[in-house]
Amino acid sequence: MKKLLSLCMISLLATGLTLAQEVPFKRHYVNHTELGGLFGRVKYLPYAGATQVVENRLNLTLQTFNGMRINPRLSAGLTTGLDWYTTALITPIAAGARYDLAGKRNVRFFATADAGYGLVWFHEDNEGYRTQGGMMLNPGLGFRLGRPDGAAFTITLSYKRQEAFVTKPPLWDQTERFETREYNRMSLRMGITF
Amino acid sequence: MRSIPLLLLLTLLMTGLWSCNDRCQETRIVKRMTPVTVSLMEVRRNLKTEAPRALEHPGKIYVKGNYLLINEIKKGLHVIDNSNPAAPRFVSFINIPGNGDMAVRGNILYADSYTDLVALDITDPAKPQEVGRVDEVFKNGQFEGAWWSYNESVGAINDQKVEYITETINTNCEENPIMPEMWWLGGAWRMMDAAFSSAAAPSAAPGSSDGKGGSMARFALYNNFLYTVGQNNLHLFDISNPSKPTSFSTVNLGWGIETIFPYKDKLFIGSSTGMYIYDNSNPSDPKQLSVFQHMMACDPVVVQDNVAYVTLRSGTTCRNAQNQLDLVDISDLTRPRLIKSYPMQNPHGLSIDFPTLYLCEGKYGLKTFNVSDQFAVDKNMLSHMKDIDAYDVISLGKTLLMVGKDGFYQFDATNPRQLRQISKIPVGESTI
Repeated sequence: MKKLLSLCMISLLATGLTLAQEVPFKRHYVNHTELGGLFGRVKYLPYAGATQVVENRLNLTLQTFNGMRINPRLSAGLTTGLDWYTTALITPIAAGARYDLAGKRNVRFFATADAGYGLVWFHEDNEGYRTQGGMMLNPGLGFRLGRPDGAAFTITLSYKRQEAFVTKPPLWDQTERFETREYNRMSLRMGITF
Repeated sequence: MRSIPLLLLLTLLMTGLWSCNDRCQETRIVKRMTPVTVSLMEVRRNLKTEAPRALEHPGKIYVKGNYLLINEIKKGLHVIDNSNPAAPRFVSFINIPGNGDMAVRGNILYADSYTDLVALDITDPAKPQEVGRVDEVFKNGQFEGAWWSYNESVGAINDQKVEYITETINTNCEENPIMPEMWWLGGAWRMMDAAFSSAAAPSAAPGSSDGKGGSMARFALYNNFLYTVGQNNLHLFDISNPSKPTSFSTVNLGWGIETIFPYKDKLFIGSSTGMYIYDNSNPSDPKQLSVFQHMMACDPVVVQDNVAYVTLRSGTTCRNAQNQLDLVDISDLTRPRLIKSYPMQNPHGLSIDFPTLYLCEGKYGLKTFNVSDQFAVDKNMLSHMKDIDAYDVISLGKTLLMVGKDGFYQFDATNPRQLRQISKIPVGESTI
């Protein structure tokens, strides 16, 4: 067991060394700012006995990732932004990571992941309504166009899950009314990174 | 070559896109009504005095001397000895099926029991005795929005049992999905649901032997008459012989009548569309003087001198309204005029002990105002108790009685800025 572990360590160190030899790596600041759409659908019954209705949903999303390049492939940092759902303006604050998948070409793939909490700082509720944010998860893939060591243009495709909770004013014969929301969206974003 | 992964990505996008569904579930607690039939024989047989029991669903409150009456909605009355406000004591429970309102003159308690008006002798509060009954005078009524009506052909009440159930539906993630019920019924319920809600006012009732009720009361005593308001009429009972009330006459009013508040020789009748002012100088024949109309809302009213205090609130039973307190000038009773409107959070009952106005704000607590300056009521808030549910309040000068969802409170109001709790009867506990 010990042997195996040490072997792993050595190989890891070795790859690190070889990489370091190829490009002298230095930690540096990374910004990745994106703008795009959150595409989704919703299925529901408008009233009892009705046939199911399917509606498309498309909402605006803005986000910016600010972090450090901690090794030649991986950057880690903080992601924040604005997601403008139809009836909720959510501000996610998340831990984020960007990982380069393919080598040293001008068009390269990367993986992206953000996980955190969506806040409702900028959301203004209707009278009687109270919106609360919830967990946010946003993994995806993207590609960047541009020189490896310079600024680049990116396109990202990701899955975004955002939870929210809304307390609503009771209607007619109700005494209490609330809604749990789970936005499941495919997000397509364009952005720049440097 | 490079475009292959790109194409792959795009395909992924397309397939991914259409399987991304928002999932939103709305949960609501709904009042569900199930029809039940109760025979009049059963109703009359079941009027009896029982051992004291715990508050479950407290309704209106009524004060008579050292005794308190707390209505258990549709079930009867708790009789409470309040000679020591720090330790109120349950004396008995009068089981009165279909009871919602009460009034006391001397030793006689008047209470409704579905269609009937009953008179009970409460000389011994532990053993009230039925002494009189006016049969089948009320033809319909409602409790918590559930209507009952009298079926004359069989001598029975068609009533509805109220239950609260939880239901969950999928929504479109917008704010107001259309209701699964028939939408047009909503409006109708809303109209009819001018439910029992709250409120109380002091205003010394004429005749010192009378008790004191709230501003949401449907019963009022004046001279030799007991006035009761139904949904669309005012019923007069002759009580010149207190233990033998007799039906005297009926005055038709508009629809949606909620409350009656006697003040001096006037009757202020609150309806879901406005406030009616009746001249009562001839008690056997009240005459309408004017109507003060507003948006549809629940509107407990209290009156002090030339000013009527009217609250409007939005919510389950009285939608379409703003939450506000209106001060209305009634120096000319034929022409009531709005003085000023103050926005509130969710005003329920109110009570005035001039210059102090007590206002229940439902789950937002109890507010106390100094109303001597009619144009700056909002600037003269004396106190705000936030951590209680305030529903209904009666000011007795130095003491303040308040009922909320969690129980019945008594406060020492010697200093309106600093209300001091004397006692509390929590819901679900009968002994203190």
